[in-house]
Amino acid sequence: MSDDPVLELSGVDSGYGEMQVLDDCSLHLDPEEIVCLIGPNGAGKSTVLKTVFGLLTPWAGTVTYHGRDIGGMAPEDVVREGIGYVPQTDNVFNSLSVEENLRMGGVARKGGLDRVIGDLYDRFPLLDEKRSAKARTLSGGQRQVLAFARALVMEPDVLLIDEPSAGLAPNTADDVFGHVQAVNELDTAILMVEQNATKGLGISDRGYVLDQGTVRFQGDAADLLDNEEVSKLYLGG
Amino acid sequence: MVLAEHLANGLIFSSIIVLGSIGLSLVYSIADFANFAHGDTMTVGAYSAFVAFGLVGGLGGSVLGLPFGFFVALLVGIAVAAVVAVVTEKVVYEPLDIDSIGLLITSIGVAFIYRALIQMRFGADFTRFGIQPLRPIEWLIPYGIRITKHDVAIVVSAAVLVGGLHLLLQHSDLGRKMRAMADNPDLARVSGIRTDRIKLWTWLIGAGLAGAGGVFLGLYNQLSPRMGFNLLLIIFAAVILGGIGSVYGAMLGGFLIGMINQLTPVLSELGALLPLVPDEFGIPVGIEYANAIAFVIMVAVLLVRPNGIAGEAT
Repeated sequence: MSDDPVLELSGVDSGYGEMQVLDDCSLHLDPEEIVCLIGPNGAGKSTVLKTVFGLLTPWAGTVTYHGRDIGGMAPEDVVREGIGYVPQTDNVFNSLSVEENLRMGGVARKGGLDRVIGDLYDRFPLLDEKRSAKARTLSGGQRQVLAFARALVMEPDVLLIDEPSAGLAPNTADDVFGHVQAVNELDTAILMVEQNATKGLGISDRGYVLDQGTVRFQGDAADLLDNEEVSKLYLGG
Repeated sequence: MVLAEHLANGLIFSSIIVLGSIGLSLVYSIADFANFAHGDTMTVGAYSAFVAFGLVGGLGGSVLGLPFGFFVALLVGIAVAAVVAVVTEKVVYEPLDIDSIGLLITSIGVAFIYRALIQMRFGADFTRFGIQPLRPIEWLIPYGIRITKHDVAIVVSAAVLVGGLHLLLQHSDLGRKMRAMADNPDLARVSGIRTDRIKLWTWLIGAGLAGAGGVFLGLYNQLSPRMGFNLLLIIFAAVILGGIGSVYGAMLGGFLIGMINQLTPVLSELGALLPLVPDEFGIPVGIEYANAIAFVIMVAVLLVRPNGIAGEAT
């Protein structure tokens, strides 16, 4: 497999309406790794994911996927390129059953939908048990698993995950981080935003610290956790 | 008039209201605005069928007292209403980069345009499909029910259309996508659903059902350029009662509002119908207050269930 980045942002400016959030932001994701974006509220972490996924159009700079510019591509086309996205909130269809949620995750597939859904039921037995249940009846942790599974139906090689532990009890959050690692073991590279920086970096290969829309620190996750300045400014250490 | 006849009339009227309510709710749930042109879309369907019936009404054979040509005209009414709504969406609503309130106000203007065009072509007077009226079904008369085969055709046709929509929503790929988009449009896009296409399908189906409702209203009553507009408020009441944005809520709301509307005269005969109540007891309101009574009941239900009977989006 090539060592070239699977996903790369170079000098990206982006934002909402006239409000700029990202300012000359550059980062990359290599194949099969987990990269965690941390930083204070409003640093632009989620904006990075939304810009990659086409929910926001970059004002400047490039977003490339396997070397191809995807900046400004519509989300429904980005999915077809091979990138999945798990939003922080409202990440399942509440009124649809678990099975229907998974089928909606595979609308862009050319075939093999039943096989993939079967594999996901094997991987996440709790979804198999509740395949007929409406998503609104699931617990927070179960919903998060369903949200991952929905995004995995397309068998993406990049998965963008926005704050997977948000609003979850500590034990449930640990389970969810375990699922993130399990997804990564499927050779899926993961770019993850996480408010709980210690936990997020704890399961990641590398990390970026964003502040005011710009990358302030980057490096191996373990090094960032040990970095005194990062710890003091961003990890509450 | 006995209770059974009011119930029968309520069922017929509900069938028409349900078709209008579903369309309005579908469009609201996906296009995200209250379409005030929906009633006039029913009128477009009715008059399109009227024109088509003039051309093909002589087709031989009949079902439930209605010539085959009527059913051809019904399909034409459904198709024209659907196409007109989609063209309006593409030409008027979609290019406007405005919020839902702006679209609502725009739809009032669209309603006036539909109505004016129909009135310019057909005049403001009432008219009817050229179909021979039928006598009430003989064997139902002893039960106090005076309905015709045409009325039965309306109920059966509406039931077929509603049943078909249910199958589409629950068991087809398009239906699942429509429900997903109504539930969470952003997640629908994120999942790869071509939401612009689903929106157009929703307009087609919603307006088509409205067109069918308009045709049946013309058959049940008569045609006039204001026929759909006159029904719009009660259709809104049905959608709100059922739970705005919920298709199944709209079905239930449409049924209840239609029944309440036709049962209003029963209020003046309550004493005769209820045990332990003096025969002379009654609330003296006639059918002319039917809409007001329907709204009173809608408000009463909303006080208890603010999101309507079905609550959340379908």
